[in-house]
Amino acid sequence: MTSAPLTLAPGRTADGTALLTATGEIDMSNSRRLADALDHLTGHVVVDLTGVEYLDSAGLNVLFARAERIELIADALLRPLLTVSGLADLVPVRRPAPDGR
Amino acid sequence: MGHADRSTDRSDDDRSSATWTEAFAADPEIGDDLAAVDWAATPLGPPKDWPQSLLTAVRILLSSRFSMWMAWGPDLTFFCNAAYRRDTLGRKYPWALGRPASEVWSEIWSDVRPRVDRVLASGEATWDEALLLFPERSGYREETYHTFSYSPLHDDDGAVVGLLCVVSEDTERVIGARRMATLRDLGSDPTVVRTESETLAFFGRQLERNLADLPFTLTYLLGDDGARLSCTSGIPPGHPAAPPLLSPEQAERPWPWADLTDGTPVLVPLDAGVAAGLPTGDWPEPPQQALLLPLLQPGGSPHGFLVTALNRYRALDEGYQGFLELVAGHLAAGIGSARAYRDQQRRAEELAELDRAKTTFFSNISHEFRTPLALISGPVQELKEQLPDAPARVREELEAIHRNALRLGKLVNTLLDFSRIEAGRMQASYEPVDLGAVTAELASVFRSAIDRAGLTLTVDCPALDRPVHIDRDMWEKVILNLLSNALKFTFDGSIRVTVREEADRAVVTVQDTGVGIPAHELPRLFERFHRVGGVRARSHEGSGIGLALVRELVALHGGTITADSGPELGTCFTVRLPFGSAHLPADAVRASSQTRAASTVAVPFVQEALRWLPADTGTSVHDKAGTGTASPRSGSGSGAPVRARVLVADDNTDMREYLVRILDGAGYETEAVSDGRAALCAARSHPPDLIVSDVMMPMMDGLSLVRALRSDTRTASVPVLLLSARAGQEAAIEGLTAGADDYLVKPFAAAELLARVRANVELAHLRTHHVRWRTALVDSLQEALLVMDEDGVVLETNTAFTTLLGHDSAILPCAPPHPWWPDAAADPEARRAVADAFAELLRQGRGNHTLPLIHRDGRRLWVRAAFNDAHDPDTGRRMIVGTFRDITAERYAAQRESALAALSTALAETASVDEALTTALGQFQHLWQAEYVLTALFPADEPPALTVTGPLSWKDLPAPRQQVIEKLQHHPPLSPVCEGTGAGVLLEHPDGPLALWIELGAARRFSGQDELLLALLAGHLAQALARTHQIDQQRDTALTLQRAILGPSQLPAGFAARYEPATPPLEIGGDWYDVISLPDDRTGIVVGDCVGRGLEAAAVMGQLRSACRALFLQDPSPARTLMALDHFAGGIPGAFCTTVFCGVLDPHTGTLTYSSAGHPPSVLALPDGTTRLLEGGRGLPLAVRPGRERSDTVCQLPARSTLLLYTDGLVERRHQVLDQGIQVAGEALQTGRDLPPSELADHVMAALAPAGGYEDDVALLLYRHPAPLQIAFPAESGQLATTRGALRDWLTRCELPVRTALDILIATGEACANAVEHAHRDSPGGTIRLNAEILTDRVHVTVADSGTWKTGEPDPSSLRGRGIGIMHALSSHVTVTPGPSGTSVEMHTRIP
Repeated sequence: MTSAPLTLAPGRTADGTALLTATGEIDMSNSRRLADALDHLTGHVVVDLTGVEYLDSAGLNVLFARAERIELIADALLRPLLTVSGLADLVPVRRPAPDGR
Repeated sequence: MGHADRSTDRSDDDRSSATWTEAFAADPEIGDDLAAVDWAATPLGPPKDWPQSLLTAVRILLSSRFSMWMAWGPDLTFFCNAAYRRDTLGRKYPWALGRPASEVWSEIWSDVRPRVDRVLASGEATWDEALLLFPERSGYREETYHTFSYSPLHDDDGAVVGLLCVVSEDTERVIGARRMATLRDLGSDPTVVRTESETLAFFGRQLERNLADLPFTLTYLLGDDGARLSCTSGIPPGHPAAPPLLSPEQAERPWPWADLTDGTPVLVPLDAGVAAGLPTGDWPEPPQQALLLPLLQPGGSPHGFLVTALNRYRALDEGYQGFLELVAGHLAAGIGSARAYRDQQRRAEELAELDRAKTTFFSNISHEFRTPLALISGPVQELKEQLPDAPARVREELEAIHRNALRLGKLVNTLLDFSRIEAGRMQASYEPVDLGAVTAELASVFRSAIDRAGLTLTVDCPALDRPVHIDRDMWEKVILNLLSNALKFTFDGSIRVTVREEADRAVVTVQDTGVGIPAHELPRLFERFHRVGGVRARSHEGSGIGLALVRELVALHGGTITADSGPELGTCFTVRLPFGSAHLPADAVRASSQTRAASTVAVPFVQEALRWLPADTGTSVHDKAGTGTASPRSGSGSGAPVRARVLVADDNTDMREYLVRILDGAGYETEAVSDGRAALCAARSHPPDLIVSDVMMPMMDGLSLVRALRSDTRTASVPVLLLSARAGQEAAIEGLTAGADDYLVKPFAAAELLARVRANVELAHLRTHHVRWRTALVDSLQEALLVMDEDGVVLETNTAFTTLLGHDSAILPCAPPHPWWPDAAADPEARRAVADAFAELLRQGRGNHTLPLIHRDGRRLWVRAAFNDAHDPDTGRRMIVGTFRDITAERYAAQRESALAALSTALAETASVDEALTTALGQFQHLWQAEYVLTALFPADEPPALTVTGPLSWKDLPAPRQQVIEKLQHHPPLSPVCEGTGAGVLLEHPDGPLALWIELGAARRFSGQDELLLALLAGHLAQALARTHQIDQQRDTALTLQRAILGPSQLPAGFAARYEPATPPLEIGGDWYDVISLPDDRTGIVVGDCVGRGLEAAAVMGQLRSACRALFLQDPSPARTLMALDHFAGGIPGAFCTTVFCGVLDPHTGTLTYSSAGHPPSVLALPDGTTRLLEGGRGLPLAVRPGRERSDTVCQLPARSTLLLYTDGLVERRHQVLDQGIQVAGEALQTGRDLPPSELADHVMAALAPAGGYEDDVALLLYRHPAPLQIAFPAESGQLATTRGALRDWLTRCELPVRTALDILIATGEACANAVEHAHRDSPGGTIRLNAEILTDRVHVTVADSGTWKTGEPDPSSLRGRGIGIMHALSSHVTVTPGPSGTSVEMHTRIP
C-alpha cells in the first residue's frame, strides 16, 4: 500500500509559536500522520499549508478536530476549500508571507 | 458511381414445376385444358419455365369467379377462366386457349386492338362501359355489350408484358333495358282510356322507338272483310310487305295469318317471296325473319295479329319471344280496353235511359191508377145511396164493386207508398202522440172482425209517460197491416196488442197464436214480394208487400221491427220506436194536432179482413197464385260473369241483408259490414273487386269511405258503387267527385243493382288487368324500383329490388331511415352520404346518386340511384320513383384498378421484405377501413411471427380467430377464405407460407368483390415480396461484408465513427474508416473512399483497408504509407483513384501528422467556436501517379477541439460546390460541440442528411481531444494518490484553469475516498472506476464503485458527510445514484 507524498516539518514561527509545515498531498491514506504530528506539538500550532497541493476531507477532519489550538497559513488555491468546508470560520487563516514563509 | 447488376435469374426447376401445376389446379377443369395446350409451340414455352409473375396471373385468373381473360407475351397468348368461358367465349373454348388473342377475337380485333395497344404502351388501364361488339361465338354475328377493363400485367422485372381483362357482359342488361323501355312506353299512360284508333296510333309511335328489337311491325285487326292493316312502325305506308287489307282468300302471302288459329306465334322467313327491299330498322342489313303473333282477347277470338320483323343479330330466344308476346299482349289489352270502354259507355247510356223510364212510370202511376179508381168508387157510392130499394142482387153487386175498388185502391196506395219511400219522397209529418191511446184505437177498429173470427183481442196499451212522434197515416198502416197479418194466419186463440216503455224506446207488440213462421223463412219475412209459402192462411191473396212496407214505415220513424216465431207457436212482431224527435228530419216534425178517428185508411183493411172470414166466403175473391212463391231472382242477363268479391257496407241490417241476398243469388262472393270504418278495414286487408256502400252510415259515411280508399295505394283502384236515398244530380255529383265509380239512388230494382254491379266489376277487371300488367312490368324491370311518398316512406318495390337488397314487400310501407342504409355506428361516413342524398332527394324530388347500401345479409353494395318525382293520378299525391342499379361490380373493378395501382406505387418504393409487408398491410387497412390487418409466419415449434397494423399480439387474438388463421396455412395460395367479419389469404413469403388476415370488425363482411380484390392484391404482394427478398439478400450480404471490413468495431476512447449505406436500393459502397493502435501509444487514423458500389467495391475497399493497416504498423508515417499504397492499389482492379486520409495522432500531446491522397479536407472545430480545415499534406488519389513523393503535415489539436474526418458522401450534393457542404459540416460540428463524440456523430449525420436520405454511402470519424480518462483501480486508500496523479495529468492536457482543475481534483478525490471508505469497508479490494470526459464547456467525472453504501443519509457533520458537502461545493452538479450493484457519483463542472 502506497501513501500520498507528504512531508511534515515541525518548527517555530518568528514569534516562537509552534509551526508545522506540510508539503505534498493530504488524503485519507496519510491524514493520520498529520494528526500524529500535530498531537506531538503542545499548545498553539501554526499549520503552514502553502506547500500542500491536495487536501481532502480526511485532512480537514484532522484540522477540525484541533481547531481550538491551530491557525493556518494557506495560499489562494486552498482558500476556497477552507471556506466551503467552514474551517475558515473556526480557524484563523493567514496568507503566506511574500518570502514563502 | 456505377450501379451493381441486379440479377433476376432463377433456376430452381422443382419449385417452378410445383408452382405451375399448382397454378393450373386453381380450376381443375380449365387447368386440364390449359395443360393440354402445346405450350412449347407458343412464345411462352413450357409452363415449367414460366416466370413467377405469369404463374401468379394464371392463378388469379383461374381462381376468380368473375369473368376474365388475359393475354401474355409477345403474341398476347390467350388464357381465360371458367366464368369467361361460360359467359362469353362460347364455342371458341377450348380452341382459344394458348392462341394469340388477335386470332381468338379476330372478328372484333379492330375494336379491341386500340385498347390493347394503349395498355401495353402506357401501362395504364382502360375502362369501357357497355361497348357494342359483334362476336361470332354462337354461329352468327351477335349483338352483345360488354363492360370491361384492360389492365396491364407485369413480369418479374416490372415490365408490361400482357394484360388482364375483367369483363362483365352487359348484353342482357342493355337489351333488357331497351325492351323494358318499349314496354314501359307502351304502358306509359294506362289510366287514359282512348278510342281504338287513338290507342293504335299511340302504339305505333311507341314501337317506332325501338327499331333494334322491332325493325318494323304491322298490326292487322280482323273484321268481316278480312284482316285490315291498322298500325305500323318502321315501314313506310304502301310498302309491298304491308298490304292494307288481307282478304280471307289471301291468307298465306305475304303473311300466313291463317296459321294463327291455335294462338301460337308463327315464324316466317323473310325471303324474296315476302317482299324485296325490307326496312332494316337500326341495323345495317335487313331482317331475316319475322314473327306473327295473335292479338288474343281473353275468352274470345283474337282481335287480329301483329307482324314483327326480328333483329337478325339476336337469336329468337325465350327472352326475345317473351318480349314480343308482351308487346302483342299489350296491344291486345289496349284494343280490348278501348273496345270495352266503348261497350261500357253504351251500356251506361242504356241504364240511364231505363232509370229515367222507371221514374216517369212511378210518377205517372198515381194519376193513371188513382184517377180511374176514384172514378169507379165515387159513382158506386152514389149508386148505392140512390138505389136503397134496388133488388138485393143489384145491391150485392154494387157492394162487390165498391169493396174491390177499395182493395185495388189500397194496393195502389201501398205500392205508391213504397215508391215514395224508395224515391225518398214520402211526405211525412211527425207529431207527438200518446202511443198507447193511438194504438189501442187502431186495434179496436179490428175488434169486430176478430170477434167474428172467434178469436180474442186483448188490447193492453196503457198511456206512456212520454209522447212518441209518429206520422199518423203511416202508423195506422203499421198497426193495421200487423193486425191484418195476425188475423190472416190465426185460426184459434187470441191476438194481443201491447204498448210498453223499455229504456228509451216505446215497444209495441202484436202477438198471435197462429200458425207461426218456419225459422228459415224468418230472415226473408220483411222482404218485398216475399211470401211465406206452405203455411195455412185464411187467404192466399196478398202481394207480399205488407210487411216490407211496415218495415220501411217503422224505419222512417227511426224504429225497428223484429219478428219472433216458430211453427205452431204463433208469431210476435215487436216494433221499437225512439222517444223524442231528434232522429227525425226537423222539417217534418209538427206540434200535436187534434186527435182524429181512425181514418178511411182503416176501412180497406177491415173490409179485406172481413172477406177472409167464413161469413164472407161467398164474396171473397181467391187469388189464383199458388202457395209456392219465389222472390225475384236475378235475370239471366245480370248474372255474375266472373267470380268476383263484393263488399257490402250498410248500417241498415235489412238493407245489408237484402243486398247480400241479391248479390249471392247472382253468384257473387259477398262480405257484409255495418259501417264505413269496418268497410275500410276489410278492403285494406283483402281488397274486393267492388264495394257497394250506403252513403249514410254511422262512424264513417260512404263519401269518407271513398276518400279513404282512394288515398291508400292498396285500395285506390277498388271500384265503389254508392247507394243513396237522396235523388238528384247534385247528390250524384258529390259521390262521384269523392271518387265513387257509380251511384245508385234508392229505391232501386234488384235487376238494376245487378246490372250496375256487373258493369263496375267488369270495368274493374279491365283496370286490374292494367294493374296486374303494370306489376308484371315493374317486376320484370331489371333495375330495382321503389316508389316513395313525399315523406320518403317506401310504398312499393319490385322483384329486382328484393333481389338487389334482400328486402321483400313485407317491409312496406317502410319509413326512413330504411333498413338498407349503412349503419350509423359501423360506417358513419357512408351513412352520412346516404342520409344527405336522401334529404336532398326529398327536397328536390329528383336526383342521381351513387350510394353505398347494405344488403339484408350485411353485404355492402354500390348502387347508382336515379330518382324522379311523379304525380300519382289515383291519389293526386306527389310520389318519388327511384331506380337502383347495382354498380358494385363496376365500382369494385375501378376500385381494384386504383388499389392495385396504389399498392404497386407503394411497393415500388420499398426495398426490404419487412418494409414491403408493412407498407402493404397499411394499404390493405386503409383500403378496407379494417380494424386491423396482420400477417403470420409459422415457424416450427414457435408462436406465429406477426406483422400487424396496430398494437396486437398473437395471444390477444380470440382462439377461434387464431384457429382460422392457422388453418390458412393449409389452403391453396391466393384463394381467399372468408370467416365472420374477416377474410384471409395465404401467400408465398421468402420465409415460408404467409397467412394474411384482414379483420373488418363491426359486423361488416367480405363480399365476392372484396375476395377478388384481395386475391389480386395478395398476388401482387407475393411478387413484391419475392422481388424485395432478392434485393434484401444481396444487400444483407454486402452490408455484412462491409460492416465486417470497413472498420474496427471497438474504437479507442474519444473516437466515434458512423457508416451509413446510401439510400436503397443503391446502398453499399466502398467507404471505410480505420483507427489503429500503434506500438508507441500513438493512434493511426484512416478514412478512405474507393470508387464504385456494391459487393465489388466492398471487396476492393477490404483489400485497401487491410493493406493500409499493415503498412501503417510497419512504418507509422502517413506520407510513406500512402506512397506504398499507391503501388498496392495499382495492382487491384477497381482501386484506382481511391481517396484516402492518413494520420498519426499522439493522444497525449494532441499532435496530428497527416497526409491526404486526394481526400476532402478534414475539419477541426475549436473550443472558441471557430473551424479550421486541415488542408495540408495534399496529394493525388491513389495509383494515379505511383512513385510520386507525398508529404506529411503536422498539426496541433488544441484541447477541447474536435476533429472530423469523412468521405465525400457526407458533403457532396448535386448542384452544389463541395466547399458549401464542408462548411455545413463545420457548422454542424460547432452546433453540437457540447455533445459527447458519439452523440455529436449522430448530430452531424442527421444535420447533413438530405431529405430523401444519403445518395452515396458515408463514412464519418470523429475525435475529441483529449480522449476521455478511464481508470479502474482497487478500492484501497493507497491507490488514491496514483489515481489523482493520472487525473491531474489529464486535467492538464485539458488545459483547464488551475482553480477549476483543483476543484475537480478535490471533488473527485472525495468521491473516490467515499467509495473506498463506504462501499468497500466490508469487502475490500473491489474495483472503482473513474471516468472523466471533457466537453467544450464542461467536464464530466463519474466515479462508480461495486460495493454497498451504508443505508441512510450520512450525518453531515460526520467525516464523510463533510466530503459530500465538499463535492457539492466544488462541482456545478452532483448526482449520486445508488444501485444494487454499486453506487455511482456523477459530477459536472463548468469550465469558466
